[in-house]
Amino acid sequence: MNTKFKSPQQFFRQRRLRLGLVFAALLIIYLVSVIVVNFQTLTSLAQVPAGLVWLFKNFVPTQQSISYLGPILYQLWRTLIVAVSSTICASLIGLILAILGAKTTSPTPALRWIIRFSASLLRNIPVVAWAMILLFSFKQSDFTGFLALFFMTLGYLTRAFTETIEDLDREKLQALQAVGANYFQCVFCGVLPEVASTLTSWVLYMIENNLRDATLVGILTGTGVGFLFNHYFKQFRYDAAGLIVLLIAVLVILLELTSTQIRRAIA
Amino acid sequence: MLKVIHLNKTYGQTKRSLKDVNFTAQPGEVTAIIGPSGAGKTTILRSINQLIRDDSGQILLDDQDIRQSNKAGLRKIRHHIGMIFQNYNLISPLTALENVLHGRLGAKSTLAGVFGMYSAAEKSEALRLLQEVGLGDYAYQRCDQLSGGQQQRVGIARALMQHPKMILCDEPIASLDPKSTKIVMDILRQLAQEKQLIILINLHQIDIALDYADHIVGINSGEIVFEGPSTDVNDQVLQQIYRQAEQPEQAVTANEH
Amino acid sequence: MIENSSSNTKSLPTLPATKRVTLLTKPRLILRGVLLALALITIYSLITLDRAGLKFGEAFQSLGVNLKAMFLQPTVGQDTWALLLRALATSVGLAMLTTLLGALFAFFIAVFSARNLVPGWLATSIKAVMAFIRSIPTILWVLIYSVVMGLGANAAVVGLTFHSIAYLVKAYSESIEETSTDTIEALKASGVGFWPIIFQAILPSIIPALLSWTFIRFEINFANAIAVGAAAGADDIGYYLFMASGFYFNFHEVGLIVYLLLGVAIVLEIVSMKLRGHYLQKN
Ligand SMILES: Nc1ncnc2c1ncn2[C@@H]1O[C@H](COP(=O)(O)OP(=O)(O)OP(=O)(O)O)[C@@H](O)[C@H]1O
Ligand SMILES: [Mg+2]
Repeated sequence: MNTKFKSPQQFFRQRRLRLGLVFAALLIIYLVSVIVVNFQTLTSLAQVPAGLVWLFKNFVPTQQSISYLGPILYQLWRTLIVAVSSTICASLIGLILAILGAKTTSPTPALRWIIRFSASLLRNIPVVAWAMILLFSFKQSDFTGFLALFFMTLGYLTRAFTETIEDLDREKLQALQAVGANYFQCVFCGVLPEVASTLTSWVLYMIENNLRDATLVGILTGTGVGFLFNHYFKQFRYDAAGLIVLLIAVLVILLELTSTQIRRAIA
Repeated sequence: MLKVIHLNKTYGQTKRSLKDVNFTAQPGEVTAIIGPSGAGKTTILRSINQLIRDDSGQILLDDQDIRQSNKAGLRKIRHHIGMIFQNYNLISPLTALENVLHGRLGAKSTLAGVFGMYSAAEKSEALRLLQEVGLGDYAYQRCDQLSGGQQQRVGIARALMQHPKMILCDEPIASLDPKSTKIVMDILRQLAQEKQLIILINLHQIDIALDYADHIVGINSGEIVFEGPSTDVNDQVLQQIYRQAEQPEQAVTANEH
Repeated sequence: MIENSSSNTKSLPTLPATKRVTLLTKPRLILRGVLLALALITIYSLITLDRAGLKFGEAFQSLGVNLKAMFLQPTVGQDTWALLLRALATSVGLAMLTTLLGALFAFFIAVFSARNLVPGWLATSIKAVMAFIRSIPTILWVLIYSVVMGLGANAAVVGLTFHSIAYLVKAYSESIEETSTDTIEALKASGVGFWPIIFQAILPSIIPALLSWTFIRFEINFANAIAVGAAAGADDIGYYLFMASGFYFNFHEVGLIVYLLLGVAIVLEIVSMKLRGHYLQKN
């Protein structure tokens, strides 16, 4: 920025003006949103503490809710493995798509654009839409949740993998090509070993994410721990619902800690 | 006048870094602290403005003991002590002018500080100080686009913006080339003389210390081994200041760096 | 990738290549172990997946028919354009509102959970609370608050904001922790207080990072707003999506809504790219 200002005062006037405009824009966005959404800022904020108190009063698991522990743990386990398997399946296909779609390894530009576009399409279809469309065809089964998470994850991982592969040093590939390696040798000996740990990081991240989304999908499709939560919640058995929330939190945190450890170990 | 009396500092339980340090620094003079790496130069400087809490002793700035002041008092005293660092420590995405104005933040109320409300006079003064250190043309330039020597001069202008009684410089030229070194040292010496400031500099380069400083403090393993005018420094004195510690201790200090 | 690595492990002993053996460092071994474990879980999961007597041929065929209806013949269904557009605006509004509120609160909380600004115990405790809030899916927060505040916009906003705060506190405090302690100390040494340092030194250094985290969160909040509409009945596009797909089974309308959402996503992408580019250029 080599702009010349006549005086420091002028410089600061301009700074203040810009800052003022930004704040005005934010304020307008806020106000418009409040009107569109019909949100009562003050009443709602005032209710937050009461909400927390209510939460701690009603959502604390009681002696009785321990008896639900069996089914809850079972559904939690089902949810976890659905989250894992959908991520892994998506990562396999995502990897193939990424290799075909990354600038450095793509056989043809046309394929690259098709893959780019489809991945972005998959990513931007909300998980709700996936869940509901699949529910219609695949009914109320674990498979519905699996496919919903699968398609969404496929979109995300294809993009993430593509970018990771493209970040790879081009010279390494060229060196391999110079030695006379064919396409598959290049990919399997040059690209994959280099990116393996980054890709695994992405996979772990998506598993965490999918565990959270699996709850939502469960609520919508009537499967897994999400269904169980909704079931208890609608029957006002808040202690059991609270137990579920607590267990989900514990599982997510454990998963986060584990994958942090793994990431550190493979870095 | 700065008077350091019986200053002691122990890191952790056992690591005695300053042992009964005494010296004075006069306004209008450049005082250089020299000594081998790990001798305690940085520790002295940072004890003076209490970035490091020392264990015992007195630090008198114009007969006021810095160590005795409470939190608000310390902030006020710190505002009158400028500090210059080896790595400049500017806020890099901001312009030179804004960085210089940061020198006034310490004198402002919290609210005025948060919103960065500077008076017109302060803004003009900041520009004038930048001109004084030869950076008038760079006032509106982001600091990370300036060279090291230029950044250091912005750092000096920021210190001057505090209207300091004293400027502490921790190896201000360690990352600079010879030309920038000369510019920066010239400015510091000129400041001492013209504004009657106390200038206290940690230096590694003996020749520069002897060229520019009026007063030399030599330190070795936390002990003052020499204090006097720079004209009194001879080979024997230097040998004493830079004498090797015993071998094992040397190894320890090397590991810690 | 996973199949590959596991089959590699098996075939390894038969390979005489010396180079391969040296590559098997500890991280590599752990990596293979992790991938193998994940592969096993996946296989187990796929075998035991509850299929509820599904006939896959039929199911995939019906999926194909529905996808065709969605993407090739989108219509407004039993709703009107005006209604859908308004609902879409509500979703965008929800996302903006919760992102703004979340960013505002998160910034102040993040200041107190940055290790270079406050004592370690305080930072750790705040971070732990935030990790707990974050670990509970957004939709559950919204459902929980809908009991206290009644179903509708207020509960949706509060629930979404809750999760946004927890997410942004983590991102922001990590950005704050990345600013060098030296520059902070330089101002401390000249007697500058806590809040002026935050706003005059730290904030200007981390604005690009804050901006990009906030945008990422905005995208998440938009997706969450839709989910919340579907599951907790805030009157937004998610609700119409839910009704069209789960109640009226009108996949033409689902298609139209998906197209609308894609449109928003594209606009968002462009705006965020422009803004980020603009900011980085300006400074
Ligand atoms: N935070 C600390 N904790 C423990 N020991 C420290 C710490 N800071 C410094 N020391 C020790 O105190 C002694 C003096 O350190 P100081 O940084 O003051 O040396 P210095 O003379 O500035 O060295 P240099 O010329 O390398 O900058 C050294 O032995 C150092 O290892
Ligand atoms: Mg030092």
